[in-house]
Amino acid sequence: MALDVTRFLAKLAAACALLVAAPALAQPVDTGHLVAELVARDQSIAPGATTYVAVRQKIDKGWHTYWRNSGDSGEATRVVWTLPPGWTAGDIVWPAPTRQPTGPLMNYGYQGEVLLPVPITAPANAKPGETVTLKAAASFLVCEEICVPEDAVLTLSLPVVEGLADPNPAWSGPIAKALSDAPTPANFASVFAKQGTNIVLAVTGEDLKGADVSDAYFFPFDSTLIDHAKPQAIERGPDGLTLTLTPGYAFQEGDGPKTMAGVLSLGDRAYEISAIVGTPPAGASGLGAPPSKAVGGGGGALGLPLAAAFAFLGGLILNLMPCVFPILAMKAASLAGHAHDRRTAQGQGLAFLVGVLATFLALAVALIAVRAGGAAVGWGFQLQSPPVVAGLALLMLAVALNLSGVFEVGSSLQGVGTGLAGKRGMAGAFFTGALAVVVAAPCTAPFMAPALGWALTQSAPAAITVFLALGLGFAAPFALAAFVPGLLTRLPKPGPWMDGFKKLLAFPMYGAAAWLVWVLTIQAGETALARIFAAAVILALAAWLLGVAQRRRAAGEKPLLLASVGAVLVLAAAVAAIWPSYGAPQSGQAASASAGGAASVPYEAYSPEKLAAAQAAGKPVFVNFTAAWCVTCQVNEKVALSTQGVAEAFKQTGAVYLKADWTLKDAVIEAELAKHGRAGVPLYLVYGAKGGDGVILPQILTEGLIVRALKDAQSR
Amino acid sequence: MPDFRSFAFAASAAALTLAAGPALAAPAIGQPAPPFTIKDGAGQTRSLSEFKGKTVVLEWTNTGCPYVQKHYESGNMQGLQKGATKDGVVWLTLISSAPGKQGYVSPAEAKTWKATTGAGSTAVLLDPTGQVGHAYEAKTTPHMYVVNPAGTLVYMGGIDDKPTADPASLKGATNYVAAALSDVKAGRPVAKAVSKPYGCTIKYG
Repeated sequence: MALDVTRFLAKLAAACALLVAAPALAQPVDTGHLVAELVARDQSIAPGATTYVAVRQKIDKGWHTYWRNSGDSGEATRVVWTLPPGWTAGDIVWPAPTRQPTGPLMNYGYQGEVLLPVPITAPANAKPGETVTLKAAASFLVCEEICVPEDAVLTLSLPVVEGLADPNPAWSGPIAKALSDAPTPANFASVFAKQGTNIVLAVTGEDLKGADVSDAYFFPFDSTLIDHAKPQAIERGPDGLTLTLTPGYAFQEGDGPKTMAGVLSLGDRAYEISAIVGTPPAGASGLGAPPSKAVGGGGGALGLPLAAAFAFLGGLILNLMPCVFPILAMKAASLAGHAHDRRTAQGQGLAFLVGVLATFLALAVALIAVRAGGAAVGWGFQLQSPPVVAGLALLMLAVALNLSGVFEVGSSLQGVGTGLAGKRGMAGAFFTGALAVVVAAPCTAPFMAPALGWALTQSAPAAITVFLALGLGFAAPFALAAFVPGLLTRLPKPGPWMDGFKKLLAFPMYGAAAWLVWVLTIQAGETALARIFAAAVILALAAWLLGVAQRRRAAGEKPLLLASVGAVLVLAAAVAAIWPSYGAPQSGQAASASAGGAASVPYEAYSPEKLAAAQAAGKPVFVNFTAAWCVTCQVNEKVALSTQGVAEAFKQTGAVYLKADWTLKDAVIEAELAKHGRAGVPLYLVYGAKGGDGVILPQILTEGLIVRALKDAQSR
Repeated sequence: MPDFRSFAFAASAAALTLAAGPALAAPAIGQPAPPFTIKDGAGQTRSLSEFKGKTVVLEWTNTGCPYVQKHYESGNMQGLQKGATKDGVVWLTLISSAPGKQGYVSPAEAKTWKATTGAGSTAVLLDPTGQVGHAYEAKTTPHMYVVNPAGTLVYMGGIDDKPTADPASLKGATNYVAAALSDVKAGRPVAKAVSKPYGCTIKYG
């Protein structure tokens, strides 16, 4: 009962205090570029208890204040308390900062509204009923481009009330959130080591297993540990992650620091870590860079259904790309031959579908297997190998010679469209499907890139699903044509015109062969030219010999010698194209993929350092991820990138043009592609003059689009 | 020590590989100070090489920066400059603010500023393109560098150990530049060769 009375009296006292001075009352101060005030979590405080009082900053738009380590310049907010005797204030509980890039420098701080909570403890002998005034002299450095030091003396009246304090309705929620969001010491193993000119920081722990680390960033407490402005490369591992940092001033003195403490931010979560010198554990790396999720080009965090839909759509569009069009046209002609024999047509349509799917499946499995082995490969990887390109060039030539009528596939010399044996027609359709997929690699259609980029960062079943969706889309028009009855009958009736059409289609195939030879010379230099031409001439001779043999056989002879000489020559041509292995081009890099000299914009070979340097110099940067074997890339370079308007835009904006040539394997470029959620080229990135992340341009470029992107980047 | 040497080696190797590119290597203690040639406030062309054989102090400044004002309005910077130049040290004050940005001055304004502040520097050099600033990776105003008579960079960083704009902080501050200059004068290696520069961001264009 006595207790109740005390309680009652305390409540009464509190009520009186309320009337005299509203609880936790403070006056906001406008210091010029921010409004500051003290806000309390609770309406009162009990003797001996601890509450949180936060310095609230409402910062003008475009301005920022600083974290405990301000980065390259700036200064942390400071708070000096004047409290009644016996009262104590603890350290500021700093929320995780955000990056504030300023020209070539990097600062760490806050924009908008921020709460800096501070624990305040009342002495045990504080008298219930009294109201104390907490006084904080706060110094802010507020910066936009220029910096202004601003000061404010902030006060807060806080009643002392026995018992559990009532929460302050306006501020208990926000302060509790600021406290729970603040980085807390994590149960991680953190080590760092000097590697060459870099520092690697390896962090492993239960919470990091399988976590999304694409936004990982290390904010050191000490401003001399790292070069804040340099990008932090992220590598994932089964147990955590590894950040590659650029050493700061501290590493120029003696043996360098022994510990690195700071905040590891994952974007939505932040942890306090303290790393010691040591050997990075194997589990902190090995899984490559995380896929980027902040991409503008329709990629990003696709789910499986969306990725599969994109892949299907991309596959459909792929039919219209120049790489596969000749082959499909050829197949369409053969389909027309069966237009009036539904069953054969349907069988062929299905065989084609199976051929396409089987090849995509094989490609996906190979790709996944090679990547699991740690190699940097992506879409089109098969074309990064000179022997494959040489082999494909010969295959194209052989198909072209066949279309020209030099020889026939199979032994039948019956006229086109007069009913090939069903079985052989099926095999033919299957292999046409396979061939179409193999030669499709140089072309990336819109929608395809984000889907494949997503697929290659996922588990094998998801990746294979996306590849199969791509195959389904690719095979759909052809397979459907065989099943939709109206379509087939609308095709022109077979007849002698088909022979002419077939011979005409040979020419795109000759073109494809010539183009592959060009790719080969870029990959393997001019000496490769002599080899591939020799192989081509031998193959042509062999084709002619085989053709003669076929005709003689048709006439009832047995031209065994002719046929075997032809076969041996085919073998010789194939061997000449593939063995021995090709050397590297003499002129160092295979950088001149643009050839022809039409490009009036001077460019430099891409490297992350050059990108960082250009960004540091405050210039917009255009990065072109390309390859000689990528038809889409070449078309963009000719049609859009080499125009006068684009050249002028580069001049006007002072933009730097960097070209990342992926014609041959390149781990750095592959990592950069992966970072933007891509598995292949083309990829066009435009970085703003004020730094920040690159914006992804569409895969089909136009002059206007590039000019607009560059102008936009100048002021971004 | 071996660690430092390998780092220095790696840094110079990086310098070699980057020499062709647009980026210059980061300035490093114990390495030759990046050479430069620019105009001073009087329109005269000055280069670092003309001061070979003398100790050179490079001071980045921005007249509008509160941190710079702390050192000039209190007379701290001028005192340091006069003491150094009396000892035969060459003191070059650089302004890398781009035209239209805070701290940018015309040659005439530079002259007036030097006179009204009573600066004791040898010359005020104008770097509106930021070319010298970028070569030294100068980040803040003030940002200080000391080059010894052999042309080697021996100090870079802040002016003292009190990273604030509050003039009261000057009392009891350890001035790193003064310490480095006396180390160079006495023929000792500079004890504190690097520190964190503090102040306003340099307003590069």
